[in-house]
Amino acid sequence: MSLALSTQLICFLLLSGALLLGALGVVLLPNVVYSAFLLGGVLLSMAGLYLLLNASFVAAAQVLVYVGAVNVLILFAIMLVNKRQPMRPMRVLLLRRLLSVAVCLGLLALLVQVALTTPWALPGPPSIGEAALTRIGEHFFTDYLLPFEVASVLLLMAMIGAIVLARRDVLARDVVTGEPADQALLERQRPPFLPSQGGSSPSAPSPR
Amino acid sequence: MFGFLKQVGDYSREAAAAARGITQGLAVTFDHMRRRPVTVQYPYEKLIPSERYRGRIHFEFDKCIACEVCVRVCPINLPVVDWVMNKETRKKQLKNYSIDFGVCIFCGNCVEYCPTNCLSMTEEYELAAFDRHSLNFDNVALGRLPTSVTMDPAVQPLRELAYLPKGAVDPHGVPDQERRAGQLPQEAAAANTAANTKEDSRP
Amino acid sequence: MIPTAPPRLPFATLPGGNLDLAGGFQAVLQGWGLSPGLAHALWLPLPMVLVLVAAVVGVLASVWMERKVSAAVQQRIGPEYAGPLGILQPLADGLKLLVKEDVIPARADSLLFTLGPVLVLVPVILSWLIVPFGQNLLISNVGVGIFLWIALSSIQPIGLLMSGYSSNNKYALLGGLRAAAQSISYEVPLALAVLAVVMLSNSLSTVEIVQQQNSAGLLSWNIWRQPVGFLVFWICVIAECERAPFDLPEAEEELVAGYQTEYTGMKFALFYLGSYINLVLSGLLVAVLYLGGWGFPLPVEWLATVLHQPLSSPLVQVVTASVGIVTTVLKAFLLVFFAILLRWTTPRVRIDQLLDFGWKFLLPIALVNLLLTAALKLVFPTIFGG
Repeated sequence: MSLALSTQLICFLLLSGALLLGALGVVLLPNVVYSAFLLGGVLLSMAGLYLLLNASFVAAAQVLVYVGAVNVLILFAIMLVNKRQPMRPMRVLLLRRLLSVAVCLGLLALLVQVALTTPWALPGPPSIGEAALTRIGEHFFTDYLLPFEVASVLLLMAMIGAIVLARRDVLARDVVTGEPADQALLERQRPPFLPSQGGSSPSAPSPR
Repeated sequence: MFGFLKQVGDYSREAAAAARGITQGLAVTFDHMRRRPVTVQYPYEKLIPSERYRGRIHFEFDKCIACEVCVRVCPINLPVVDWVMNKETRKKQLKNYSIDFGVCIFCGNCVEYCPTNCLSMTEEYELAAFDRHSLNFDNVALGRLPTSVTMDPAVQPLRELAYLPKGAVDPHGVPDQERRAGQLPQEAAAANTAANTKEDSRP
Repeated sequence: MIPTAPPRLPFATLPGGNLDLAGGFQAVLQGWGLSPGLAHALWLPLPMVLVLVAAVVGVLASVWMERKVSAAVQQRIGPEYAGPLGILQPLADGLKLLVKEDVIPARADSLLFTLGPVLVLVPVILSWLIVPFGQNLLISNVGVGIFLWIALSSIQPIGLLMSGYSSNNKYALLGGLRAAAQSISYEVPLALAVLAVVMLSNSLSTVEIVQQQNSAGLLSWNIWRQPVGFLVFWICVIAECERAPFDLPEAEEELVAGYQTEYTGMKFALFYLGSYINLVLSGLLVAVLYLGGWGFPLPVEWLATVLHQPLSSPLVQVVTASVGIVTTVLKAFLLVFFAILLRWTTPRVRIDQLLDFGWKFLLPIALVNLLLTAALKLVFPTIFGG
């Protein structure tokens, strides 16, 4: 076995191991912060697997979007929520756990079924490597234009919603509590820092 | 429409002014880089404190009459004066005197108001200690004279800017004999008395 | 693959007429009777170790420069006793941190506490993968090049959050959250500024970005085509490095030392190392993206023609490569110098000013710059890389 192949195999085994163990940790650990950090690890190993498949752009995008944005957002949410409330003991906890295990096992069975029945063409089509970037761009702006635009509209909606939620003063009534919002919090237009040339600023008292 | 344009104009003018400010600041710091350092290599070199330097306070036990003026003029009533009334001489007899230099602000009021001049300010400023309570000086500690910077063989004494010859900025390498700029205190005093006598003799 | 060069020639050349160190090295090893696979395996770690060493030496140099320039700005002398001109002072600092006691606070989360600095340092070192010092003088000419750097630098906030959270200290947590918020918000205008450059050179690869700037020496550098982008990128990079005036995560008046509060010894040294490696890396990347990378202000090809030297001769090749390395490093350190000067010139901004500046000033400007670049590219395809 050549150097490159064995390296590839070792990397693949390491990455898959890290991915599986990390994913189990995300689900099973009781500490939610650990789960969030492990999720970052899982996403990183996924990026590593993409890299092994010669899809460097997808790997970098995976790191940028999932690790750099989504995971950091999750961590932010966990760390900024400072509400300590005791967990109420749940009724029929055992039954709930059994049910969720059953659902997960069903999904797993489905996946295994799909993986076993799909005729994988081995070796698959040769990876296009660096040309992937151009190919992805072409697809985005031709046949996948509609999903691409719909996704951006979705993001825009999310952004506007976040702004409305964060600035409770833009609407007359508070979105969350339903009380009339404090309009005094509205950002007013500030007078310019530099007085405009010639014209005297109205607020400044005239020096006499 | 034009309101918006005006806003944009104001905004860009502000940004340009900020950029100009930062450039000016950079020019200032850049210019400072070519100036000579003013460093005094402290434990090896020390500046000679000026005549009016307000350092650690010196106390002469035998001169003190325990009048407690120093306590009254002190902003925080810091000096501790421990005395008893001597029945025979019918005078106050001082037993202990202490000042805590961890609390003192070295304002010099006590020195200024002491009727018998038993308090004075020294040029000692090295008051570092491992325990703040060791800065509470009693009358023995207050009576010690500080080591002068000029007397210490391990230290290279340097003159402060005000005591350097005219035009000199760096104290390194200035010969000791060279006179400071301006008049010495005694010369100023002599000139003053001369002028006063002339004033008096004129009419 | 790399073509095999004639044996026993230390500096083989690629068909393009450029220096090929890898081929030469392997050819020499094969000349000693080693198998090609073994020669390749021996070559593989060399550039990585070399770049790691280069990064650390760059850190030492920039720490020394920081201390000396700071001293000069404040009319002090600065380090003087450790070696001539205090040049060994950074080494002494490092040695001190190395032998200091490694304290993990009792209530801290020791696993995350240890992992945090590593997660901060590793992406920064990995980013050196794409820094070119010459035509073939880089570890890997990855196709996604500059995008890889942006992706890697987005891992850093996780390390910061991790160390801030695990210290079990309110200042550390606040500092970590601030650092993460800061690097996320400045990543956006940074990426847009990079995108404009990428649009000009039609490639993400750093080597191609530099090559595309080196047709006419000084005049063809990207800074003339992207002055606004250059400023935006430079500001964002300084904010990403958490240097003054954007050093809020470590604002000592408010947060003691931010996420580094509880760290001592080697773990603190990792943060320190990371921040300075990042600074040097940022200088290098600004040089690559906007100041023509390894390109000398006068085109080397033109100089060689003037001096009647054939471009393919080994001497010219070696001289070109050395000039390239020196030029890149010089440009980077010039930018580091400006960062240091800026540190002593500007006061620290407040957190609201920082976010305002990032989202309401840099982002719109970077967007307008991008649109303008696209428009100019359509109108003047010859100048703006059609």
